[in-house]
Amino acid sequence: MKNDKQHIIGVFDGEETLVNAFRELKKEKIEISDVFTPFPIHEVLEGHGRKSNIITLSWFFGLFAALAVLSFLYYTAVVDWPLNYGGKPSSAFPSFIVITIVLTIFSVTILSLFTFSVRAKLWPNIEKPIYHDGATDDKFVILFDKDKVDEGKLKKLLKDLGATEIIEK
Amino acid sequence: MYKTEIRGPLILGNKTLGQISDEITSPIYQRPKMWWLIGMGISSVMMLLGFWAIYVTIATGIGSWGVNNTVGWGWAIINFVWWIGIGHAGTAFSIFLLILRQEWRSSVNRAAEAMTVVAVGCAAIFPALHMGRIWDAFFIFPYPNTRGPLWVNYNSPLFWDFIAISAYLLISASFWFLGMIPDFATIRDTTKSKVKKAVYGFFAMGWRGSSGEWKRYEGLAFVLGGIAAVLVVSVHSIVSTDFAVSIEPGWHTTLFPPYFVVGAIFSGFAMVMTLMVIIRKFYKLNDFITDRHLDNVAKILVYISLIMGTAYLTEVFIAWYSANEYELFTFFRNRITGEYTFQFWAMFVCNALIPQLMWFKKIRRNINIVFVISLFINIGMWYERFNIVVTSLAKDYLPSAWASYTPTFVEISVFLGTLGIFAFGVLLFFKYIPMIAIHEVKMVNKFKVNKKR
Repeated sequence: MKNDKQHIIGVFDGEETLVNAFRELKKEKIEISDVFTPFPIHEVLEGHGRKSNIITLSWFFGLFAALAVLSFLYYTAVVDWPLNYGGKPSSAFPSFIVITIVLTIFSVTILSLFTFSVRAKLWPNIEKPIYHDGATDDKFVILFDKDKVDEGKLKKLLKDLGATEIIEK
Repeated sequence: MYKTEIRGPLILGNKTLGQISDEITSPIYQRPKMWWLIGMGISSVMMLLGFWAIYVTIATGIGSWGVNNTVGWGWAIINFVWWIGIGHAGTAFSIFLLILRQEWRSSVNRAAEAMTVVAVGCAAIFPALHMGRIWDAFFIFPYPNTRGPLWVNYNSPLFWDFIAISAYLLISASFWFLGMIPDFATIRDTTKSKVKKAVYGFFAMGWRGSSGEWKRYEGLAFVLGGIAAVLVVSVHSIVSTDFAVSIEPGWHTTLFPPYFVVGAIFSGFAMVMTLMVIIRKFYKLNDFITDRHLDNVAKILVYISLIMGTAYLTEVFIAWYSANEYELFTFFRNRITGEYTFQFWAMFVCNALIPQLMWFKKIRRNINIVFVISLFINIGMWYERFNIVVTSLAKDYLPSAWASYTPTFVEISVFLGTLGIFAFGVLLFFKYIPMIAIHEVKMVNKFKVNKKR
């Protein structure tokens, strides 16, 4: 914290008022630094221009995992120590498929969870300022940076848009 | 989009968002109720019995069980398959209903996923014990070792099974936990107790519900949901290959993978039904788990029951149509009539006939009857696994090698122990974790009849 009170927080009671306010604020070209909601609201997520590459990344995790598992199976069963199981071929691709699928799913899950944890900055005991306690309960909170907005105009606008609380923090 | 005018509201009682958080988290703040303590007591006793049986099994060896050279797989494998089947409901609920956009799942999926994690954990105990020398269990990990290096046999369904079960346990647990993060944050921000704030805050991992967090959360849920859908189908298919790849009469059929997957979802949904009724009864969450929810699950059960009946009849038909004498013997002289008549007909009646009662709306809307039917299904599914595992092994190709099988007290105790572990885990879940996904319920709460926009 550099100095206290560098944010303005607009608190809304309902999803509709929030979405409406969000659109109006966008129209007024006021910079919103974050929105906190108890559940995902797609109008906000899209309007805010938040991007997440987690789906694309997971695809690459999957590709990587599939290749890694298959080559591991090939190396151990064919190259390193081929065993003769009743005269069946060591390079038994069809029966490798099962393990490859399961382990690929497993790796994608673990790797994307870690990516999520790192990118969304979620891990145990992380210190993050909680701007409003109700944001995970029943309040919809919009956060502004004081330096980037016209304070007086914003407060008036927020009140007009139906904010129930306007807090400086 | 969900049409409330046609299907009715998902959450009753016109609740505000604050009310939803309060009502769902209320068991966490209440002092434990008498029935809860009694339940914990009984399940602890059962767990202790189970631990004793596990100790005897490890210390004495598999000789303490009733399995013999002919019937090598007894209660252990029956219970393993039974638990894994029950464990399928959580993933099936979250994933299939997510893909099918069934919004009503949001009140139920948390409990179903919790059940999955505990049930798969119970299931994993059995094959581990059945190895006999559990201290050598690390032999099944493929790692560079001093035994050759001798790698595991990747062609063996038993190894696939090991991989599939461990992966399934970890994946379903992480999916479950991911869904709980926002709800833990809700508890962290609404509780007044410092201890709860610290503990739930630790697990909430700094969740604030910012748009960046939600965007990534939804992306991740989409990815995990998509790939776990494959897992629902693959895990029990792999379990079925444990049987289908061998050449025992009654096991060696191509019907097995779909038959097992459907059976798993059947028993799982029945267990979800059992739990839903218990949650409604004891926690008064009728506004969230409405009659509609029970009705929907009942309809799914009727449908799956038809598939089960078809599968049973297909097996019998193919045995007759193939005119293979061993198949004919197994199905007609050993199951339908003969030594295992009771088990076969218990399976058929409980799984294929009794659930058909739920065609009637009056029965679907009667919670007591539905509860009893869901118990019957789980008993029936247990007999199905008995039927598959024991009848085929006991009398296969060589009459001189035929043998009977009766479980010993130790075997039964291991099973009772896992029932105890399951009940214990589920009771802890009821008490300490929001048993309905709060943020998901808040999301569907807006679907109200005659809502003014």
